[in-house]
Amino acid sequence: MSSLARAAFQAFWISMRLRFVSSFAILGWLLFPTIFAAVGLFVLVRPGVPPSQLAYAVLGGGLLGYWGVAYLDGGLSIQNERWSGTLEHIFAVPTPLWVILLGKVCGSVVWGMLSFLPTLALAYFGFHAVLPAIDAGPFAISFVVLTFSFLVVAFAFAPLFALWRWALPVLNGFELGFYTFCGFMFPIAILPGWAQPLSAVLAPAWATRAIYASTTASGPHDYAVWWLVSVGLSLAYLAGAVFLYRLVDDRARKSGELALA
Amino acid sequence: MNALPAEIAIFARSTYLQYVALFQWATVRGYVGYKIVLPVTQILFFVELGVYAAGPQSALYFALGNAMQITANAGIFGVIATVANERQFGTLPMLLASPANRLVTFMSRAVVNVIDGAASVAVGLAVTVVLFRLDLHTANLPLLAVCVLTISLTTAGLGLLFGSIGLVMRDAIVIANVVYYLLLIFCGINFPVSRLPGGLQVISYCLPLTRGVDAARLAVAGGPIDRVGALLAGELAVGFAYALCGYALFRVLETYSRRGGLQEAY
Amino acid sequence: MSSRPAKAAIEVRALQKKYVTWRGRIRRTRHENIALAGIDLTIQPGELFGLLGPNGAGKTTATKILTTLLLPDAGEAWVLGLDVIKQTDAVRRRIGFVFGGERGLYWRLSGLDNLRYFADLYRIPPDVSRRRINELLDQLGLAGREHDKVEVYSRGMKQRLHLARGLLNDPEVLFLDEPTIGLDPVGARELRLLIRKLADAGKTIFLTTHYMFEADAICDRIAVIKKGAVVAEGTPVTIKRMVENQGVVEFEVVGISADRVSALRTLPDVRSVSVTERDLAQLVTIHCANPSDLMTRLGALLDGVAFERISSREPTLEDAYVQLISDAS
Repeated sequence: MSSLARAAFQAFWISMRLRFVSSFAILGWLLFPTIFAAVGLFVLVRPGVPPSQLAYAVLGGGLLGYWGVAYLDGGLSIQNERWSGTLEHIFAVPTPLWVILLGKVCGSVVWGMLSFLPTLALAYFGFHAVLPAIDAGPFAISFVVLTFSFLVVAFAFAPLFALWRWALPVLNGFELGFYTFCGFMFPIAILPGWAQPLSAVLAPAWATRAIYASTTASGPHDYAVWWLVSVGLSLAYLAGAVFLYRLVDDRARKSGELALA
Repeated sequence: MNALPAEIAIFARSTYLQYVALFQWATVRGYVGYKIVLPVTQILFFVELGVYAAGPQSALYFALGNAMQITANAGIFGVIATVANERQFGTLPMLLASPANRLVTFMSRAVVNVIDGAASVAVGLAVTVVLFRLDLHTANLPLLAVCVLTISLTTAGLGLLFGSIGLVMRDAIVIANVVYYLLLIFCGINFPVSRLPGGLQVISYCLPLTRGVDAARLAVAGGPIDRVGALLAGELAVGFAYALCGYALFRVLETYSRRGGLQEAY
Repeated sequence: MSSRPAKAAIEVRALQKKYVTWRGRIRRTRHENIALAGIDLTIQPGELFGLLGPNGAGKTTATKILTTLLLPDAGEAWVLGLDVIKQTDAVRRRIGFVFGGERGLYWRLSGLDNLRYFADLYRIPPDVSRRRINELLDQLGLAGREHDKVEVYSRGMKQRLHLARGLLNDPEVLFLDEPTIGLDPVGARELRLLIRKLADAGKTIFLTTHYMFEADAICDRIAVIKKGAVVAEGTPVTIKRMVENQGVVEFEVVGISADRVSALRTLPDVRSVSVTERDLAQLVTIHCANPSDLMTRLGALLDGVAFERISSREPTLEDAYVQLISDAS
């Protein structure tokens, strides 16, 4: 057990070190969230803005960045392993693939949290925008629930990159769709009717709702329901991921595509 | 005279092969992901943001702005990514050691991207118009198409400038991403340029896309053709200036990189 | 699940593998490429076994199946009595493999970091891995360079780092897939000596190569594979005996026509004729039963063709290999 924990920690640590020297990784936590935050701030912040909109302006960029990194970073690291020819090697070690990927996506989630630094700084120093209110307890719990949902989604998607070479362009294409349907920068309630069921099956959407609810003074809020639904959906994704990992191991070894860039 | 059809055939074939060889979306799934889903979701996101901030009447403003910015995807990524991906696959030294005309070689890659950029914009806009029931009854659609093509060309000039840096720098694709997404802030895509601080507005008018977006909004509003034309002329002038600087920088840096052997550094 | 009795270090029965590729972008057509057509191999513990074959013969495919990276379509394979399909984890703990080349290492990390990372992935206890890494760095001539990033290593150093990684878990069986390819002659010779030392120390080594002299120099036994099938198996001596009653006649010409070459092939006692380009001339190599007889007749056979440096020699392993490959065609 300790050897598995050590392997997971090494996967986490090495992936973090490779991120530090990767300009792409820096794009992920610094540039993209800041740009999207800037757009959000320019669009949403104006005299007389309602407090709820102000909250979206302040937190939206950070949440986008957090999601963007967590969602794709684990898979991107698999893609990089493929391009550098090391994917076969990590497949053939005695440590199960899921342990290695768990370490990597933990690194993705930690890295993604960095997005809040530039975005909150921009909101405060550039636009003098602060959260209108904050209920610390629910906010903290909601953030933990959100983090758990990101971790699970990243963990569930990561093996797709080992299995299919086209996973990156397809999932990259859907990234902004997640921004919309998870309500990172505006409430899901304003989306058209056909979009509501899509949001309802996304674990991060429920946690995001709880986060924004904790930043407005108005209430009451169904925190417990939102948290439970988010955690429940995350666990459902996890069950799917178990099946996916078995499939990846079998299919990757049948197709022989691990060595192909 | 017989050489010209052969040259055109070679140009067309090499353009297609370069596109397929270099770009990871050159499969049906990849194409759908990068060229259709991504533009549609970007427009969708910013339209919803705009509707939340300013009401449903602003949907067209955000849809048009982002559609024009997506047009730039082709021009910028087409050229910048060309150099970056050639470097990654190790084919850059072979290309630079060949007698191929440099300008033709690199712009040939942009050509295909200009065409498919227009296609993805058309799809993105069409989907948004249907989803949000946008009213285009005043729009001059042929003039809008001219705006799209103009922006593709002018942003290709910008791409050529920054792509040249890829000769001496690893991770030039990072530059492509930076340039492309910074346009969201500077070019009046989601909010008027006038909202930027004074100094930053200067940058806006030195960039391609800014005048092109204004021209596109005017075309959709049924504005006078001469005003649209004036904006597009300004847009072309800016784009041409970037293309000229880009080509000059490209030739200078090619020599510099040959001295330093930097094409192979990866 | 029962293991096969571990008498052989590696055992392969009727192993088959084909790859499916798709051609075309919109209307795609399916194509199958047979990599292994059903091979049988048995390698004893402590043997240094060489699998020879041209590019595309199936060497790497066989290696990847035995190292659990690929699943075969049919057949069975065991390493140390463990089924490579069903007992992958147990196999992985006891083998090492080296694919070599420029890829397969983290370029932006140091050599030491690469080794430490894989030591943990192989679940080696930290005190053991620390000691072993130091030993391997010394043994493989990387000591003093371990803190440099891999991107500044020479090709030979990268190859040695690959080997160090393959030896981290002190494997009982080591798979080496063309380990000396791309190395300079001195570096390649040093690596071959090292490989031989590892075998002498008791490791079972499965080596693939298309350098005949390399297999001849270090392997205990060899199998020749062509188009997914084993066409010969034995020691280098027994394989050379397959061409024992034959000799090789070689000469240089400047411009020999295809018709002349075909005419040479039709002669009785001639087994094969190959032509190799060398600057402005061609080297013609004829495998035949009676080289001295052929040499006396060459003048008449090549009337009008300028040839020189005619010689005859005993067949080498390379000649046997060329003949085996030609026969298998």
